[in-house]
Amino acid sequence: MLKTVVFPMMTFLLGSTLMAQEIRIERKAPVSQVYKETVEAESILSFNDLNVEFGYVLYQTEINTDAENEELELENVRDYAVVYVDGKLQGTLTDQRKKLTIKADPGTHILQLYVENIGRITYGPEITDNSKGLFGTITLAGNDLRNWKMIPLNVRNYPLKDLVFERRASDSSPGFYQSKFEHNPSENSYLNMTGWGMGEVWLNQKYLGSYWEEEKQQSILIPSEYLISGQNELVIFELKNNQQKKISLSPTPVFK
Amino acid sequence: MDEYKISIYKYVKMICLLGLLVQATLLKAQDVIDLSGTWGFQTDVMDFRRGSLSPRYNHVLQGTIKLPAITDDYQIGYQNPYKYIDRLTRKYEYMGPAWYQRDIEIPADWKGKKIFLYFERTHWLSSIFVDTKEVSSIDYVSVPHNHDLSSFVKPGKTHRITICIDNRFQYNTHKWNHAHTEFTQINWNGILGDMKLMAIDPVYVEDLQVYPNITDQSIKVKLRVNNATKKQVKGKVSFAIAGTKYSLKHEVALVSSDSVSFVEANIPLGKHIKLWDEFNPNLYRISCQLNTSDGKNSYQHEKSTTFGMREVKQGKNHVLLNNHPIHLRGNVENAVFPKTGHAPLDDASWERIMMLMKDYGMNHLRFHSWCPPAAAFRMADKHGIYFEVEMPMWGKDAEPDEARYNFFRREIKAILKEYGNHPSFVLYCNGNEITGNFDFIEELTAEGRKADPRHLYSGSTARTRVKSDQYYVSQQTNKGPVKVYEGLPGTDWDKNVESDVDVPVISHESGQRCIYPNFDEIKKYANSPVEARNFEVFRDLLQKNGMLDQAKDFFRASGALTVLEYKAVIEALLRSGKSAGFQLLSMNDFPGQGYAPVGIFDPFWDSKGLVTAEKFREFCAPTVALLRYDKSSYFNTETFKGKAEVYNFSNSTLENAKIKWWLSDTAGNVLKKGTLKKQTIANENVSPVGEFAIPLKNISSQKVTVHLAVNDTIKNSWDIWVYPKHQDLMQSTDNVLYTEVYDDVAKRQLAQGKTVVLYPSPDHVKGRKSLFHNHFWNPIMFAWAPMTIGNLVHHEQAMFKDFLTSYHTDWQWWDILNHAKVIEMQNAPQQLRPFIQVIDSYDNNQKLGIGFEAKLNGGKLLVLALDTKTDMDNRPATQQLLYSMDNYVKSAKFSPQVAVDENFIQSFLTK
Repeated sequence: MLKTVVFPMMTFLLGSTLMAQEIRIERKAPVSQVYKETVEAESILSFNDLNVEFGYVLYQTEINTDAENEELELENVRDYAVVYVDGKLQGTLTDQRKKLTIKADPGTHILQLYVENIGRITYGPEITDNSKGLFGTITLAGNDLRNWKMIPLNVRNYPLKDLVFERRASDSSPGFYQSKFEHNPSENSYLNMTGWGMGEVWLNQKYLGSYWEEEKQQSILIPSEYLISGQNELVIFELKNNQQKKISLSPTPVFK
Repeated sequence: MDEYKISIYKYVKMICLLGLLVQATLLKAQDVIDLSGTWGFQTDVMDFRRGSLSPRYNHVLQGTIKLPAITDDYQIGYQNPYKYIDRLTRKYEYMGPAWYQRDIEIPADWKGKKIFLYFERTHWLSSIFVDTKEVSSIDYVSVPHNHDLSSFVKPGKTHRITICIDNRFQYNTHKWNHAHTEFTQINWNGILGDMKLMAIDPVYVEDLQVYPNITDQSIKVKLRVNNATKKQVKGKVSFAIAGTKYSLKHEVALVSSDSVSFVEANIPLGKHIKLWDEFNPNLYRISCQLNTSDGKNSYQHEKSTTFGMREVKQGKNHVLLNNHPIHLRGNVENAVFPKTGHAPLDDASWERIMMLMKDYGMNHLRFHSWCPPAAAFRMADKHGIYFEVEMPMWGKDAEPDEARYNFFRREIKAILKEYGNHPSFVLYCNGNEITGNFDFIEELTAEGRKADPRHLYSGSTARTRVKSDQYYVSQQTNKGPVKVYEGLPGTDWDKNVESDVDVPVISHESGQRCIYPNFDEIKKYANSPVEARNFEVFRDLLQKNGMLDQAKDFFRASGALTVLEYKAVIEALLRSGKSAGFQLLSMNDFPGQGYAPVGIFDPFWDSKGLVTAEKFREFCAPTVALLRYDKSSYFNTETFKGKAEVYNFSNSTLENAKIKWWLSDTAGNVLKKGTLKKQTIANENVSPVGEFAIPLKNISSQKVTVHLAVNDTIKNSWDIWVYPKHQDLMQSTDNVLYTEVYDDVAKRQLAQGKTVVLYPSPDHVKGRKSLFHNHFWNPIMFAWAPMTIGNLVHHEQAMFKDFLTSYHTDWQWWDILNHAKVIEMQNAPQQLRPFIQVIDSYDNNQKLGIGFEAKLNGGKLLVLALDTKTDMDNRPATQQLLYSMDNYVKSAKFSPQVAVDENFIQSFLTK
C-alpha cells in the first residue's frame, strides 16, 4: 500500500525539476494605486474603528530618530505587519514578536507599517477583544508615535485592468507585480511561491489565492480552466517585498 | 475451506508456511472475572497517599463505591455553591487522585496464563497496586487501559488490588479538549464500561488488524502473536469469516520461538463479498483461533473483530470511498453528554445518535478534539456513518513540550490500533485549530499515514497545512473562505472556487447561529451530574427586567431564524460540488465556551421542536433539489428567475427524472407551474438541470413559495415575497406628522392630541446596529456585533395588517433589519413592548426594539428606527412595511396604550 503512494509522488517530483516552467516578473504597479481614503488621527485606529473588515491597511507617520538603531515597539499586532522606513524594508512583526530595531540615520523619516488581517481567527485570552490591525501604543525609543495617517488598501477588489504597470524599478516597497507568459501545455498546475513574502495572486484577472512565507504550504493550485493557450497574465500583490524576480510552476503542491 | 493461497510472513525468526486444511475447533471461552460491583473507595484530594504510598501498609479503604461509575454518581467531591455562567455547573467537582480497592482471588487454574486487568475507559492515569506494590500505570485517554498483571499475581491466592485513578491533567494539554473538558463531558474520575480481569493462554493474538482490498476482493490480516512460554511453539491459526449469508474458513500454520511474531495472511473472500458504505453498511466478523503447542502443553486463544470491505482514498476534491466520491454532510460532535457527565459506553445511546444523523440526512460526525469509545464506532459501522476522530489536541498543544509530544505519539498509535478495523473510521485528524510546531504535526500525520492506510489523514483543522495532509477541514483555504456561517437572501453563490485546492476540503464548523435558551430545560438536569444554573441566572435577569413571560417567544423566534439560516448554510454547501462536505456546528447545543445554544437539539439530543426531520431532509439528504436565485423580495413588476440544480450524492443516477416546479400561495393554491426537461441526473455530482422564470404580475399574497420536485420524491421549497411598488409613502397630513427629529413641531403636534411618526435616521439613534442574523456562536464568548439573538415580531398587531410576517423574522426582513438601529428600551415603562422587538444577549436581557408606539404628552407616537432613504427603489419589503404602518397610523386602530415621558424619547436620540 505504501509503495503505491510513494512511488508516483517521486515520479512527479522528479518530473518537476525537469518540467518546472519559470516565469520572469518584469513589471510593477506601486501599491499607492490602490489607496483608499486616508484617515488621519492623533493615535492609531484599529481596523474595526476604520470600518475595515479584512484586508490591508497602511499605517504611516513621520519619525525623528536620534540614533542609528532605535527600537520600535507595538502594543498589539493583529496579525502581521511589514515595516518600512523611507521605502526600505526593516522587518516584520506579529502579535508574538512586537519589537523591531529601526536602522536609519538620525533625522526625519517616513515610517510605514503595512498590516494584514486575512482571516486568522484568534482565540485564547484575547477572545473577548477581537480588535484587528494595530491599536494601543506604538513607541520608538520609548517615545509615543503620534499623528498617524491610515490608508486602507483596496487589494482584493481593485479592478486589475485599471492598474498601471511599469517596467520594474529596483525599489523594495509593496506593490503589484505583473508577468505575461506563454502557457506551456504541461501538467503544471501549482504556482510555487517559494521565496515570496506575503500577498495574493491573480491569473488572467481571476483571483488565484494568497500566500505567506511563514506557512508550510508554499503553492497555490491553478485550476486548469484558468490557463489559456497563448499569453497568460499573472499579477502578484507582494506586501513584504522579497524582491523576487521570477516565479515557477510546479506539477505538485509545494511544502516547506 | 478450499485451496486459497496462503502466505505468512515471519518477522522475528522463523514461521513456516504450511497449507493445512483443518477445521477450526471451538475452544473454551477465555477466563474472565467481571469486576463491576462494589469496590472500596477513598478520595485523596490532598494528593498525599500516592506520595506516602499507604497501600504499602495494606490499608483497607474506608468508603465504598459501585463501579462502573464516576465520582459524581455518588456525590463525591466539592459541593459546588456557584452558578457558572459560561457552562453547566458540575454539582460535585472532583479533580485529583481517587482510590478504588477490592480483594480478588485469582483462580488456581489460571496458573501459567497471562493475566490482564482491563478498563474500557478511564480518566486518565490509572495505576495498579497489587497488595503493597505499584505494578502498572497507563495514561491513555482515548482507548482502554489493559494492565498486564501476569508477573505480579499468583493464581490460587487472594490479592488486594488497589487502583489509583488520577483525573488531573497528566500533561499540559488545552483544557478545552473535549476528551476531558468541563465544558461538555466533564473531566470525570472513575472507571467506565467493561471492567474485568482476564486470563489467557501465554501464546495469544495480541493484535488483529484487517486490511480490505476491494479490487482483489480479499483481506490482508495482520496478527501480532505473543509467546510468553520462552519455548518454540507450533500450531495453526484458524480464521472464520461470517456475514449475512456468508461464511468462510481459512487456516494457516505457524511455528514460532520468539516472544513476538507477526503473521500476515492474504485471504481471498470470493465474489459474493459485499462492500461497505453509507448506503449498504455490510459488516463481516472475522474470528481468529490460535491453537499452538510446545510439545508438552497446548495453548488456545481467540480474537475477533468486525470489519467492512471498504477502501478510502484521496480524490481531487472529494474523499473516495470504494473509488467513488462521497460528500460529507456532518455534525461536529463535542462530547456533550450532560445526562451522565461522560460519553456513553453502550450501543443503545450511540445508536440513537447515529439514527438521528440518518433521520436528518447526515452521514458524518467529526469528533472534535476527542475519540469516542468503541460503541460509537460499532453503531456507525452498523448505520453507515463516516467518522473523523481526533486526539485530545487543541490550540497551543503543538508548542514544544517533549512530555506532551510523547503522549501524543503514543495516543495516535493507540487510536489507530484500537479502532482501526472499524469501517466507519474514515478520517483521522490530530486535533482542532492547532498552533505551535508544525514539524511535529507533520511528523504525526506522516507516521499515521505510514502506519495505517485505511484512513485519510490531516494535520490540523483550520490552521497551517502540512505536506502529509490528505484532506483539509478549514474555515478557509489559500483561495478564500470555505466556511458558511449564515445565509443570504439570494442563493446564486457557492464555495467551489475556494474549495478547489490540492486536497479535498471540508467546511469547518459552519452554522453556529445562537438561539435564545429554553428555560424549560432547567428541569431536565435533576438527575445529572451538572445543572443549568446559568439558565437560572439568565431567567432571573429576564424576570427582573420584566420580560419573563416572553422567554418562550424569544426561544421560538430565534430558533426559527436559526433553522432558516441552517437551511441556507447547508444548501450553499451542497451547491458547492467541489467541496468534500461540511461539518455543522452543531445539531445539538454546546453547553460550554459561554454556552452556545446553536442546536436544533438540546444538549440531551432531544429535539427543540423547531424543525422536523422530514423538513430538514428536504435540504440535507443524499439527494437534494436546489435552486439558485438572486433575491427573496420582489416587486410585482419583476420576474422570478430560478436556476435548478440537483445535488446527488446518493448511490445511483436518477434515470429519466421528471422535474417540476410550481408556485403556491400561503393557502397552498398553485398559482403557476411548469416542468423542466426530462433528464438523467448523474450521482456523485451537483448538476444544473434547467432554468425557469415566473412573472410575478398579479401576485397579491405577498408571500409565495417556489417548489421544486424531482420524480415527486425529492422536494424542496423556498419562500419569496412579492410586493407592489409604493410611491409617496410617509406623507404627513393634518393629523399625522412624519418627522425625523423630535422637535418643537413634533411636540406641538402631540400636545394637540395628534399623531407623530418619528423615524430618526439610524445615525441619530444610540445603541447597537441591527442585523438580520442572530449572534454567532454565543455573545458571552464572542462579545462582538450584533450582541442580539434575532427578533420577535408582534405580528398579530394591527400595524402589520398589510405586511405579512410571522412572529419570527424571515428573508423579507433582510433589507429592513440591515437598515435599522436597535433602541435601548429598558427604561421605558414595563408594559411597553416594542412591536419589532430585538432579542438581547441572554446575559444582558434588556428590552430592545426597532419600532414601538406610545402615548406622549396627550398625543400618539409611533417610532421606527429605520433608514427610509437609502436605496429605497430596491427595498420592496421596507416600502411595504412603511405602507402598512402608514395605513395603521392613519386608521382608528392606532391607539397606543402605554404612556412614556419625553426623557425616554430623548434617551435614545443622539440629538
